Amino acid sequence: MKSLIAIVTFTVTTVAFAQNVTLIRDATILTVSHGKIEHGSILIRGTKIAAVGPNDQITAPADAQIVNASGKFVLPGIVDTHSHTAIEGSVNEISLPNTGMVRIRDVVNNEDIDAYRELAGGTTTALMLHGSANSIGGQSQIAKWKWGRPASEWIVEDAPRTIKFALGENPKSSNFRPPAGIPLQYPSTRMGVEEVIRKSFLDARDYMAKWDEYDARKKRGENPIPPRRDLLMEEMADILRGNVDVHSHCYRSDEIMMLLSLSDELGFKIRELQHVLEGYKVAREIAAHGVGGGTFIDWWGYKAEAYDAIPYNVALMERAGVLTSVNSDSDELARRLNLDAAKAMKYGGLTEEEALKLCTLNPATQLRLDKRIGSIDVGKDADLAIWNGHPFSTYSRVDTTFIEGQIYFDRQRDLRLRQELAKEKADRLKKEADEAAKEKKEKTPEDKND
Amino acid sequence: MTVLLIAVLIAAPVLADAPGVYAITGGTVHPVSGPEIANGVVIIRDGLVEAVGANVPIPADATTIDVKGGHVYPGLIDAQTSLGFPSAVPPRRGGAAAARQPQPPPTPLPETAASFIAMREIKLVSDDVESKRATGVTTIVAAPAFGIFNGQSVVLNLGEGDTPSRVVRDPAAQQISFNPRPAWTYPDSLMGVVAYIKQTLLDAQQYSAAHAIYDRNPSGYRRPEDNASLQALGPVLRREVPVVFVADSESMMRRAEAIAREFNVRYILSGVRQGYRFADELKANNIPVLVSVKWPIAPTNKDDREEQPLRIIRDRQLAPTTPAVLAKNGITFALVSGAGKTSDFIPGIRKAIDNGLSADDALRAVTIAPARILGVDRQLGSLEKGKIANVVVTDKPIFVKEAKVKRVFVDGRESKLPTEEERARRAEATSPVEGTWNLTVKTPQGDVSIIATLHLESGHLTGTFSGDAGSGDIRGGTVDGATVEFTISARTQAETSDWVFHGTLRDSTMDGTVSTTGGTFQFSGSKSR
Repeated sequence: MKSLIAIVTFTVTTVAFAQNVTLIRDATILTVSHGKIEHGSILIRGTKIAAVGPNDQITAPADAQIVNASGKFVLPGIVDTHSHTAIEGSVNEISLPNTGMVRIRDVVNNEDIDAYRELAGGTTTALMLHGSANSIGGQSQIAKWKWGRPASEWIVEDAPRTIKFALGENPKSSNFRPPAGIPLQYPSTRMGVEEVIRKSFLDARDYMAKWDEYDARKKRGENPIPPRRDLLMEEMADILRGNVDVHSHCYRSDEIMMLLSLSDELGFKIRELQHVLEGYKVAREIAAHGVGGGTFIDWWGYKAEAYDAIPYNVALMERAGVLTSVNSDSDELARRLNLDAAKAMKYGGLTEEEALKLCTLNPATQLRLDKRIGSIDVGKDADLAIWNGHPFSTYSRVDTTFIEGQIYFDRQRDLRLRQELAKEKADRLKKEADEAAKEKKEKTPEDKND
Repeated sequence: MTVLLIAVLIAAPVLADAPGVYAITGGTVHPVSGPEIANGVVIIRDGLVEAVGANVPIPADATTIDVKGGHVYPGLIDAQTSLGFPSAVPPRRGGAAAARQPQPPPTPLPETAASFIAMREIKLVSDDVESKRATGVTTIVAAPAFGIFNGQSVVLNLGEGDTPSRVVRDPAAQQISFNPRPAWTYPDSLMGVVAYIKQTLLDAQQYSAAHAIYDRNPSGYRRPEDNASLQALGPVLRREVPVVFVADSESMMRRAEAIAREFNVRYILSGVRQGYRFADELKANNIPVLVSVKWPIAPTNKDDREEQPLRIIRDRQLAPTTPAVLAKNGITFALVSGAGKTSDFIPGIRKAIDNGLSADDALRAVTIAPARILGVDRQLGSLEKGKIANVVVTDKPIFVKEAKVKRVFVDGRESKLPTEEERARRAEATSPVEGTWNLTVKTPQGDVSIIATLHLESGHLTGTFSGDAGSGDIRGGTVDGATVEFTISARTQAETSDWVFHGTLRDSTMDGTVSTTGGTFQFSGSKSR
C-alpha cells in the first residue's frame, strides 16, 4: 500500500493545454443552479462554460474535443472553505495572539500530493486557512488545485482577501501547551480571546488616525516624518474598511454570540463561521447578521467544545436562513465532501439540490466567488468533474476533473502513469543501489591496505 | 620518475614571515583567465602575482620552487560558509515576568541581526583553517547560519595572521535565511519568516526616511530613535550591498525573488539545489547564484529509500545536475560548501562533474565566478599580474579523485598544510553525537520512528533524517556538552510542522523531549553500529 501511495506522488505534471474547445456530451448534468439536465451537453470554450443544455441544443465546432459522458454525471467542481492542504511549513504561526500579518499566499506548496488526491475527489477550489492556534491567525488564500502548474497560478488573484479568526479552546491553549520553560501564551480564557480581538481593532483605529494625520500634514505642505508601516495593523485596518472577509473558527453558541456582537460594536463584517457546531442553537441570530456557516455533518465529541454537535446542524442552519456549507479541515475529508453533503438529506431532509449546493454553490457564495464558480452556468469558469455515477452514491468516483477548461485529473491517464512512474522509481532506486555498491567495492581494497 | 616527483612536491615549504619573491616553475599552470600553460611559471612578489606565462624570466631575487608534474591554480574561493561561527541557540522570548501578559505586537523586532558584523565576531581555529586550505580553498565568504538576518558576511583570505589582516572585503553581503525560530517565538512558521523579513525591510525604509528628514533640519521634529540593525540595512536598500538569500528549493527561490523585487534590492541566491528546474527564471532575471554542493543524500536503510516518494528520489538525483544545467544556460554561478563539511566540498564538486559539468566550468565556479559575484574579481579568482597571490599546487588535476593539495600560498606567503598524521587524527576525532541514530518519539497517536544521521563540524550539528515523519535536513542543530538540540520539518498525516528535539547524550544513547505545535513528547534512541 505504501509503495502505491509513493507512486501516485508525481502523477500529473503536464496537462494537454492545446485544447481550446471541449464538448462534454450526453451526461446527466447537475447544474446545481437550475436543476438536472438528462442527456445534456456542456460546451467549454477556453476557460469558460460557453453553453449548457440538452444534447440537441448544443452544437460543437468541428475542432472541438469531444468527451463522451453517456451514463455519467457532471457536477461543478467542489469548493472547500476550510482547507489546510498545500501549505509549506507550519500551518500555525503560533507565537503571538494576533498574527494577522502572516500570509498563506507566501507558502502555497504546489507539490503537496493531497491537492492532487482532492482533485480525484472532484474538489477544485479551496480556502487555504491559517491554523486556529491564535485569536487572529493569518491571511488566508483562495486557490484552485492546478496540479503541475506553478504555485502563483494556483492563487485566484481577483478573489476576495480573507483572514482567519479563532475562538474557544485552541486560541486559549487548552489543547496544546508550550514545552517547559516557555510561558503559557495569553489569552487563557474565552474572555481573553474577545479582548485580543477588540484590542487589535482599537489599535488599528489609532494606526489609521496616525496615518490620516500624516496625510493631512503632507497636504498642508508640511514635511512630516512618515509613521511606521505595520503589516499587522494594515491588515486590521483593511478589515475595518471592509476589504477583508473574516472566516472565524468557533464551536460554542456563547462564543458565536460574542463574536457577532463584537462585530456590531467594532464595525467589521464576518463572512463565514467555521465549524460552528452549535450554530443550530443560535441560527436565527447568525442569519440576521448575514453570516454564513461552514460545518461538519457528523464529526463531534473530539474535544469538550465539540460535545453538543448534532448531524442536523446543517439542515437546521440552512432552514433558519444561514448560508451553509460542508467543509473539510482535512486532507482526507476534502476528497469526499460530496458524501458529507449527501448525509444532509438523511439528517434534516434537505432536497437533493439543496444538498448539492452544500459543497458547490453555497461555499462559492461564502467565498464571494458565486459569479465565477459553484454551478454549471454559461459564463462561469469551466471547473467541473465527470463522475461515473451520481455523486451522492458511495460507489461513484470521479473520472475527469477540469479547472478552467483544462484537465487536471483523469483516471485513465492516472492508471497509465502509475506504471510509468513505478518503472522510473525502480530504475532510479536501482541506479542508487548500483552506485553505492560500486563505491563500497572501490573503498574496500584501500581499507585493506591501510 | 614517480618517486622523484613526489620528493619534489613534498619538499619543505618555505614558511616565511614576510611575503617574499617566489618563482613557481615546472608545473601546468591553470590561470583561469586564459588557457592552461604547460611547464608554466608564476612569479609572486610582495603578496601579489607579478607574472604568469610560459617563458617568464626568473627574477634574480626569487626563490625558485620547482613543482614539476604538478598543477598550479589560483586559490579556490568558497563563497558561502559559516566556518568560524559556532551555531547559537536563539534566545527564547520572555521570562517568568512575561507569562500571562498580552504579548506586544512584534515591535521592536526581536533579535534582528542585520547589524551583525561577521568580520568582528568570526573566530577561526587554526585546525579548521588548515583543513580548509588542504582542500585548496584560500578564500572564504563567511557569515553565521543562525537566525533570519544572518548578518554582514566578510571575504577572508585564509592565510596566517589575525582577522583584520585576512579581510579582503567587508561587508561582502547581507545574508538572509528562511529559518523559522523555535515554536512560540515569532516567527515560528515559514509564512511568519516572510512577514518578518518584509516588516524589517519596511522598518529600514522608514528609518532611512525619518533620518533623512531629521538630518536635513532637526528643528521641530521629535528625534528618531537609533537602531543599529535598521541602519545596517540602509546600504542594502540603496543597492550598495547585495543580499544573499539562502534558498534551496524552487519555492524558496521564488519567495526570495518576490521579496527582492518588492524592495528593489540587489540579490544573490545561495543553496539553489533545485536550480536544475529553475534555470529559465535565473537566466531571464540575470540572477547570480551560489550553488551548495551539499547534495541531498539517500537514506542508508533500503526500506526507507523505497518508501520515499519518487519526487524526493528524483530530486535527489537531479540536484547534482544543477551546475551543468546552469553552465549550459550561461548563468553566472559559483559552487559553495554552504552548510556542508569542509571535507565534502571537493567531492561535492566532483559529483557535479560526474553529472555533466566540465572540469573547466567547475574551476571557474570556485575561482573567477565567485570573485565576480562578490565584486572582488580585480583582486581574486585568477592567476593574473597584479592580483593577490593566492596559489594552490596539486599533484594531479585538482578535481581528480586522488589529487592532493601539496602547497598553498595565501597573500604571497606559503601556508602550512596539515600533515598526514594531523589529517588522520582530525578525521578520527568525532563527537559522540556523530553517527546514525534510531530515535522513537512517543506521541498520543503512537510511536514515531525517525532515523537521524548527525554530523558535527565547527560546532554545527547538521545531517538528515527519514522515517515515519518524512525526511529532510536537520536544522538549527547545536551541541553543548551532553545537550543536543536540533529541529526537523516533520510530516505527519495532517501537516508539516517543526519538531524541536532537546536531548541528552549518554554514550551511545540519547533521550529527551520533542516540542511540537501539538504538544511536547518524550523521545529516546540509540546510535546504530
